[in-house]
Amino acid sequence: MRRYNSLITAAAILVLGGLLSLVLADYRLRLLNVSVISAIAVLGFNFAFGLAGLISLGHAAFVGFGAYALAILTTASGWSPWLAIPAAILVTTLFAGLIGYPLLRLRGHYLALATLGLNVSFTIVVTNWISLTGGTNGISGIPELRLGSFAFNDERRFLWLGLVMLALCAAFAITLQRSRHGRAMMAVRDDETAARMTGIDVTRVKIMALCLSAAFAALSGTLFATHVRFVAPEDFNYAHSIVYLAMLIVGGEGAVAGAVIGAALLTFLPEWLRFLGDAYLAFFGLMLLAILIFLPTGLVGLAGRLRRLGRGAQAETTR
Amino acid sequence: MADFIQLFVNGLALGSVYALAAIGFVIVYSATGVVNFAAGQFVMFGTFAGVAMLANAGLPWPVGYTAALLAMAAFGALFFIVVYLPLRTSPVVTVIIGTVAVGIVMQNAALLGFGSWPFRLASPLEGITIDIAGAAITAHAAMVVVVTGLLVGLIWLLFYRTALGIGMRAVAQDAEAARLMGLNVNLLLALSWILATVLAGIAGLLLGPMWFADVNMGDPIALKAFAATIIGGFGSLPGAIAGGLFVGLTELLGASYLSSAYKDLIAFVVMILFLLVRPQGVFGERIQDRG
Repeated sequence: MRRYNSLITAAAILVLGGLLSLVLADYRLRLLNVSVISAIAVLGFNFAFGLAGLISLGHAAFVGFGAYALAILTTASGWSPWLAIPAAILVTTLFAGLIGYPLLRLRGHYLALATLGLNVSFTIVVTNWISLTGGTNGISGIPELRLGSFAFNDERRFLWLGLVMLALCAAFAITLQRSRHGRAMMAVRDDETAARMTGIDVTRVKIMALCLSAAFAALSGTLFATHVRFVAPEDFNYAHSIVYLAMLIVGGEGAVAGAVIGAALLTFLPEWLRFLGDAYLAFFGLMLLAILIFLPTGLVGLAGRLRRLGRGAQAETTR
Repeated sequence: MADFIQLFVNGLALGSVYALAAIGFVIVYSATGVVNFAAGQFVMFGTFAGVAMLANAGLPWPVGYTAALLAMAAFGALFFIVVYLPLRTSPVVTVIIGTVAVGIVMQNAALLGFGSWPFRLASPLEGITIDIAGAAITAHAAMVVVVTGLLVGLIWLLFYRTALGIGMRAVAQDAEAARLMGLNVNLLLALSWILATVLAGIAGLLLGPMWFADVNMGDPIALKAFAATIIGGFGSLPGAIAGGLFVGLTELLGASYLSSAYKDLIAFVVMILFLLVRPQGVFGERIQDRG
């Protein structure tokens, strides 16, 4: 059963998302699209933070890098978006590898501050490099994705595309997490010295985790750009990095299902809590703090704990 | 030349504010090991405590400033009990994200209390300018530099010449040993938080008349204070001062002589360079991954 976990998760995403795509109205579909796009970014973040334990406050910069790469390639250079997506992912991954080499020598709060500085610098550069990025006006007129005469230009159609992408990403993430590479990342997170003792190349593993996280972030960014068909600097500032981090913590770090659930939950939560008005962020902060203190393994961890409790109770009664 | 002097003094004033914010940040870090990502919001609270007491309650400024700082001290004690104590034994990652979460709550609380419209916080020396070699310096900027200098002296006296400050340093060095020596560790830790909060409050009161009092001002200050701390050296008080002045000066001089669009980038690029080449900063701790 465990061997097919990746297929089951992918199928669950497709079936559940597909059913929702048929029953929900347009506005909810838009939110679902935003959830799917965020979920891909959070799945990537899970490699860096959940598995390899790299505390990054700059994930949104990678999402933005991918989104801007696609926007520039499709509008200024006239590329097809289908070609621009892999190109954007490649450029972003290379960028991550390049900065990862010096950056990943840092740990703990030093890494957090450096990645925060990176995200702020990214925002400053895209806001001011007007000839390339359009400054605060952003880049509009990004073409839609289409297959032959079928254009992914409304919420429902785009959702189908997004769900397929998310299912593929989730299956890949689960497979990788169970592989030698995934276990190496977790070993580095848990104890760097011990990991090195067992012959793991710690630097390589960390850079691989960062590159994977950047690749997923870039895919998420390109989908964002082709969904909204407009990019602007404030969509990728460090507040978004904190949201990605919160999504993973709420869902449960280190778990693929947690990343997806956290992304969906935190996208819909502001809608459900609309009655809070301006106080939503206070609620958001307090919720995050409460989860950190009382539920450090997130919702997925809570589900696991409940299941074990149930099993324990069953064992009691049969005995 | 007159332009340069004016920019230089204003840069020193701004840098003094960053230095005070960074000192508060460093005191907390040295004493408790907590990297306080809400540090910028503490300064913002200081500015708004000033707005509440001076602009809204209309108190005369000596009373208003004192009331604002007392409110900040009370807030520091509250923060110690509500946030620090529950997170005390958590891993670094949890503490970092926890203080980020608290920062979000603080910013939102200020938004709910004061609204998003910026306030003007007047200086006690409003409208007075000093002429230095043809450069017009606001008396407020000069006061900021002088007050910061005095505070730095007082902090030094506290930490090196009083039993209380030596106790605080003892706790920062080794809490267990300090406890064995009969020091009241929890009280001294609480006092470290309160001292840091009051310093952030003074930074906020001094900054108020230089900027507009805006509920979103916390993040830019925090980023500059972080950069100052890294450049000067994590955990080092002289480092926080040198780093703060450096960041303030590069911000104002860089904006005039290099590029106003990229003025904020200078501090971050220097910060990242320091992290990569000399992570212990100019004066700081040697251990790369302490905390």
